[in-house]
Parts: sequence; structure tokens; C-alpha cells
Amino acid sequence: MAVSLSKGGNVSLSKEAPGLKDVVIGLGWDTRSTDGQDFDLDASLFLLKEDEKVRNDSDFIFYNNKKSSDGSVEHLGDNLTGEGAGDDEQIKVNLEGVPQDVQKLSVGVTIHEADSRSQNFGMVSNAFIRVMNGVDNSEIARYDLSEDASTETAMLFGEVYRNKGEWKFKAIGQGFSGGLGPMARNYGVNA
Amino acid sequence: MKQFNRGQKSKLADLTPATDLTVGLDLQASGSPTFDISCFGVDAEGKLSDDRYFVFFNQKASPKGEVRQLGPRDGDAESFEVHLSNLPPKIQRLVFTATLDGAGTMSQVSRGHLRLLSNGSEVARFPFTGSDFSQEKAVIVGEIYRKDVWRFAAVGQGFNGGLSALLEHFGGQEVAEDAAPPPPPAPPPAPKVNISKVTLDKKGDKQVVDLSKRGGDRPIHINLNWDASAGRRGGGFFGFGGSSAPDLDLGCMYRLKNGDSGVIQALGGNFGARDRSPFIFLDKDDRSGKASDGENLYLHRPQEIDLVMVFAFIYGGASDFTSVGGRMAITDGSGDQILIQLNSPDRNRNFCAISTVRASGSSVEITKEEQYFRGHKEADGRYGFGFRWTAGSK
Repeated sequence: MAVSLSKGGNVSLSKEAPGLKDVVIGLGWDTRSTDGQDFDLDASLFLLKEDEKVRNDSDFIFYNNKKSSDGSVEHLGDNLTGEGAGDDEQIKVNLEGVPQDVQKLSVGVTIHEADSRSQNFGMVSNAFIRVMNGVDNSEIARYDLSEDASTETAMLFGEVYRNKGEWKFKAIGQGFSGGLGPMARNYGVNA
Repeated sequence: MKQFNRGQKSKLADLTPATDLTVGLDLQASGSPTFDISCFGVDAEGKLSDDRYFVFFNQKASPKGEVRQLGPRDGDAESFEVHLSNLPPKIQRLVFTATLDGAGTMSQVSRGHLRLLSNGSEVARFPFTGSDFSQEKAVIVGEIYRKDVWRFAAVGQGFNGGLSALLEHFGGQEVAEDAAPPPPPAPPPAPKVNISKVTLDKKGDKQVVDLSKRGGDRPIHINLNWDASAGRRGGGFFGFGGSSAPDLDLGCMYRLKNGDSGVIQALGGNFGARDRSPFIFLDKDDRSGKASDGENLYLHRPQEIDLVMVFAFIYGGASDFTSVGGRMAITDGSGDQILIQLNSPDRNRNFCAISTVRASGSSVEITKEEQYFRGHKEADGRYGFGFRWTAGSK
């Protein structure tokens, strides 16, 4: 039974799924039901050190850099419209392969061309982030953002982080002004 | 008071502790198109599984009055009274929508808003303009919904397909007014929603209004509207002129059962009276068609009418009825509406007898006339009121 988190809540992945090695982070939202331009949402992940910065630019995993240099984190592709059931974008993480100096994997979602399309997260329905066991894709934890999303065009959805020898997941749901560029620069990426 | 942007959401409790609210909507647009403003009470799946919770011009209230359409008030084109705590659990979401009736798109909206009021004071406002839209003909303006607690969202998204697309979105379907389409092989069990208004199409078409129905003590409301942009385009030899909006005057000739008779119209300043004979009242003179609600005549005591002939004539801005797109909506005390389009105008005559109202017993018969005349006197000759006519001006 998956744990459903609210904004700010966290859960120990290691306790919920003992022996956990690989996780799949799934992100989803509903395709636009009204007329107008599609919602094209992009997921990205930052491998962060203790100081909340990337070690280098290749720790910024997104549609143009789908795999971390050590291969532990892999973005499985971009969905342009939100069509299809279940996850719209997935990021696969081999927890054991995550380098020791990486403390946290922070997952953000941005709306592509949000300004020119006059879109924001409040217009997107049923956005969620979930963490699944890579062995059988069983869901360990889920966070449904819909009521925490408002006029933001970029949002941190959640983070997977080390805590006293365990891996934990935290529901963030926090807006970030600007978009993908400012978000990346905030984490020390030369974007 | 909190101002909302499109996409913005809030817990209702952060705006007001009240759950008895008034929701007011207003839309202003060039050409004064007609907007139908409705409320869909939908279930957890966003579907209209109980069409008694579709509150609109043909159904003014939900079964227990949890949602009630109040009509224009306090500067809003439409307002609703909602009692959230009385709603049954299956109704999870009240969706407030605006639909353009006729030509045009939502991008023409010059300004609009949805606001929430609690005990008469505004607690939230979502302003929007046509630049938020492109080809939409129906929009979901805002929603009040349950998710653990009651919440409010400023939506501002819509459908190019208008009311039909909106109904489809909520899992309903429009009842065809005329030819029924062949049934699909496996018709889905969708609630049917009757959105048709009674239209008096041809001269002589009649509709009987039962005054003994609920709300029978409310006045019969006669509204005349027309296209402001459809005026005579100027120009001329020396480049004078330009365009001027047509100025139509609504009025009526009446004869009551007690023998009182007269003419009510802006010309000569005879606006009638609500609370004394003739109990017929003309609310204003819209000289340009810019007021979105046109001109309005109220029959406060329809049962005392022997004969009322409702007319319109062109005071200026157009030479005849061919370009003005004149239309009349007659709403009885219980909210049922009868529409009359002026669809066979006469190029040489600027006075139109649009309809007649005759009372008998507890019912009133409304007949489409659409007869064109050269003026009041000629029309009077046809309907036999027998007035003495002299020229006048406003």
C-alpha cells in the first residue's frame, strides 16, 4: 500500500520497501481538456551535494541531458501533451549507484513556453509525483499536487534524499519563479 | 478581498467562513452579444450525473434551492445564491460557465469578472479579458469545489464548440431542437439536458404563459436587443459621417380591462409605472445598443391587460430593420423564455409591431406579429387602439 503524502510530508523509502535498489520516479498530469495550446510539461532532476548545488553541469538531468555521467540517473523521455494514463514522464534511479557525495535528488517540473502560452500549474489538472520500486513498479509513495499548484510556471515536486543511511522521499510542492533556466541556475548549473 | 489570477486556487475558508454565498458574473463585449451564464453541479468525476443540478435559464434552481439563479443584480449580469452546506455529497463541484449565444468569440470580451460575496461584501474577485481567450465560445469561469474542504479556483478556460462542447465535457448532451439525429449504435447513458428556448418563428406563432405557475406574481419581462455595430456606415461624398450606432426605441400601446389605454415609450418621456395603472414600466432608453441588456419593458399586472402591442421603431442610426439584428426575449414570472427574432424586415418601414399580449383568465397569450409600418399612426390603425397622434421628439 503506497503512502500518500501531503505537501511537506516525507517517508522512508528504505523502510517501506526493504532492500530497495532501483526506483522509478513517475510524474503525471492530465492532458488539457479545454481548447487552447497543450500543456507541455518537462521534468528535470538535479543531483545535489550537501550544499544544495550540483557538482557540475552534467548533474542537471533534463530532456537534453538524459543520463547522469555515472549512469545512476536516467530520464526516460519527454511526453509533449500529457496524453496517456499513468506517468507522463519517468526518471529511473539506481540508488546504489548514486555517488556518495550526492546527498539529494531534487525533482522539478516546468511548463514549456509558459509565458507565451499564458499557462500556469493552476490550469493543469491532477499533477502528481510518485516513487515506485524499480523491481516491480509497485508504488511506494505518492504526492498529489493539484491543490498546491497555483500560478507557478515552475515547481519543485519532490526530493529523494539520504538520511542516516536510509533513502527518504519528501513532498515539496513549491513554486519557483522564472522557469527551467532560473531553477537550474539556482542549483549552480551554468544554464 | 482577494484578487485571483487565472489558475489560482484557494481554500474557501481563507476567503470567508461563510458557506452561504452569492456568486456574481459579468461580461462586457463589443456588439452586446448575449451571454448565457450557468452553473453545473457535477460529481467527483466532473460529470453532470444529475441534471437537476444544472442551473440555467430553463431551470432556475437546484432541487432544494442549494443553487439558485437570481438574474442581474448589483452590477453583475448574472448572480447565483449558493448554500454549500446543503448540497448533497454527490455534488462535488459547482462550475460557473459563460456561453456566447450567437456569433462571436470570447476574445471579444472587453472585461469580465466572477466574484464571490458573503453577506453582500465581496471576498474574492477574478477579473479577465478577451486576451485570455482566442476562439472559445464557452468558458468555465470559476469553480467552487470540495477537496477535503471547500475551495475556489479561477479557471478561465473554455471550448470553441460552445455550449454543446461544454455539455459534452460534463458528460451530458444537448437535446436536438429539430431533426433528431440517427441514434448511435450503442448510445451512452448520458443525461439529457434541454437547453432549448421557445422561439416564435413565424408571424402568428403563439405561446401561452400560465400565470398561476410558481412566480406568477413576478412581472413579465420584455427585452429588446440589437446589434450596436450594425449601423449605417457613413462616408459620403465629402468624407463626412462615419458610423453611428442604431438607436431603437422599445414601447407599447396598451388597453387594460378597465378601459385605460395609452402609449409607453421614451419618445415623449412616458415610461409608465410599476405600482399604479397601467402597471407597465419601461426601464430606460438605450440610445446606442451599448448597454448589454438593451431596453426592457415590464408588465407587472399581466392579468389586467386586454391588449398590449409591443413595438420598436428606429429613432436613428439605421434606416430600417434589415441591418440591426433585432431580437426580443420575453421572460415570464417563472423564468421561462420566449424568443422572437425580427427575421423578415421591411426595407421601407422603420416601425415594427413585434408582438401582442392578451390576457384571459389565469393565462396570457403572446403572439409574434412582426408587422412593419411607416409609423405609430399606421400601426394603431391596424390594431385599433384609436389614439390621436402628433409628432414628437426625445
